[in-house]
Amino acid sequence: MALREMTAWPRSPIRWPALGRIAILARHNFGLVFNEPGPLLSRLIQPLVLILLMRPLYVAALAKDGPQAGTAQVVTGILVLFSLLGLSLVSIAILTERTWHTWDRLRATPARAGEMLLGKAIPAFATFALQQSVVICFGVIAFGLHVASPGLMAVAVTSWALALLGIGGTLGAVLRSQSELNTAYDIGGVLLSALGGAMVPLASLPAWARAIAPVSPGYWAMSALRSALLGQTAPTLRAACVLLAIAAATGTLAAWRINRGWPRSRLL
Amino acid sequence: MDDKPVLTADGLVKTYGHRRALDEFTLHVSAGEITGLVGPNGAGKTTFVEVVTGLIRPEAGRVMIGEVDAVRYPRKARALLGVCPQETALYPSITVAGHLRLFGALAGLRRAALRSAISEIAELMELTEVLGKPAGLLSGGQRKRVQAATALIAERPLLLLDEPTVGADPLTRTALLNVVSARAAAGAAIVYTTHYLPELTELGATIAFARAGHIVARGTQAELSMDDLFLREPEPAHGAA
Repeated sequence: MALREMTAWPRSPIRWPALGRIAILARHNFGLVFNEPGPLLSRLIQPLVLILLMRPLYVAALAKDGPQAGTAQVVTGILVLFSLLGLSLVSIAILTERTWHTWDRLRATPARAGEMLLGKAIPAFATFALQQSVVICFGVIAFGLHVASPGLMAVAVTSWALALLGIGGTLGAVLRSQSELNTAYDIGGVLLSALGGAMVPLASLPAWARAIAPVSPGYWAMSALRSALLGQTAPTLRAACVLLAIAAATGTLAAWRINRGWPRSRLL
Repeated sequence: MDDKPVLTADGLVKTYGHRRALDEFTLHVSAGEITGLVGPNGAGKTTFVEVVTGLIRPEAGRVMIGEVDAVRYPRKARALLGVCPQETALYPSITVAGHLRLFGALAGLRRAALRSAISEIAELMELTEVLGKPAGLLSGGQRKRVQAATALIAERPLLLLDEPTVGADPLTRTALLNVVSARAAAGAAIVYTTHYLPELTELGATIAFARAGHIVARGTQAELSMDDLFLREPEPAHGAA
């Protein structure tokens, strides 16, 4: 074959090659998740067990606010707590690729950085959406939790899953080691959940905590989920918009950092 | 066969802090030619491979792969490349077949062509019996062969192999050298970085000796003396095509 033919500007014989590569990478990343299902199963099962254990306490504590208040608080609170803890699924997936040097190996293929990120994001998004859906369905089936607007709930779940994806991607891209990641979760996961009103209702938090609560993404997730349960369109959409803005900002940061690659590190 | 180089790298400069990893690095490789890129650790061999692959961007210089400017259009250039990085980069839980399927598909192979390429490269690299085995359960030599196979699964005009046989057993080395020779015979241009000169003799490669970020000597092993390879002091950056 003549050199000109061999090295001419490459054109793919496949229609929509980018979509094909995203599908290939997403399938590959689903494979990585299913080959090690422990973390996924733990994030799915633990919240259900915790809801079972803690619901009586919340129902008793919030009885004055109505028969649904305790169940709504425990279901949405545990959902937000465990989805924040579930960020590790995304961050560890990215950090592991850095440790294995496989991310640079993928960068050496014709796949674009955006395609690689989408291939990684699709299974993670599916995991977050599944986790939240399982928790809410459990609340509905086991305890008669009333979801006034399933459509608004879908908006809340989707926007929260996207925000989690962006935050998790940023942590995986920016932090330099597994121990830094563990520290971020130990501090961030629990603190952000508590500050957002996931563990104790916002009204019961000290005044100073209520004042700074909106800095926590968990606050907006709780707001979106609680408003969706009550069928309140405007508050749900407002909180969803904040979550989507967080998703866009953190997703952009993660994409920019990942696209640059990483220098040799003494920590990984 | 066309005499115009498949790989044209001219005047590449890349610095890390105060250290110049590439200092006017120039190298041309033609179709069917195997160039053994040798030199001491820190000479710039891996940095050069990473620049050609588009993983890092040079501060100055030009890389053309055929008609494609690899610095301006790294993704287009990568469609013309097969790359075997120095670091073994495999997914422990994914099988050998899974790795070949992934990298073959990303290289644009589909369905029957992909199946055929997997079976062919597995046979050439002595991997057929471990196709269903996860990479984490492979021996060091098998891992090296899988790594190389992911680079060689699709036929490309340019192959970059960065120390592919470090720590490899004789079987791995023989299998890899046979495939590399065959690819060169089919017209691929090959850059092969190594510290093992006998491998380059076996491949019939020309040698480009890198030191302090640029090529200080270029020729066949017969043409180059040991002084050229190990004793010559680095000259001011000039490159050698």
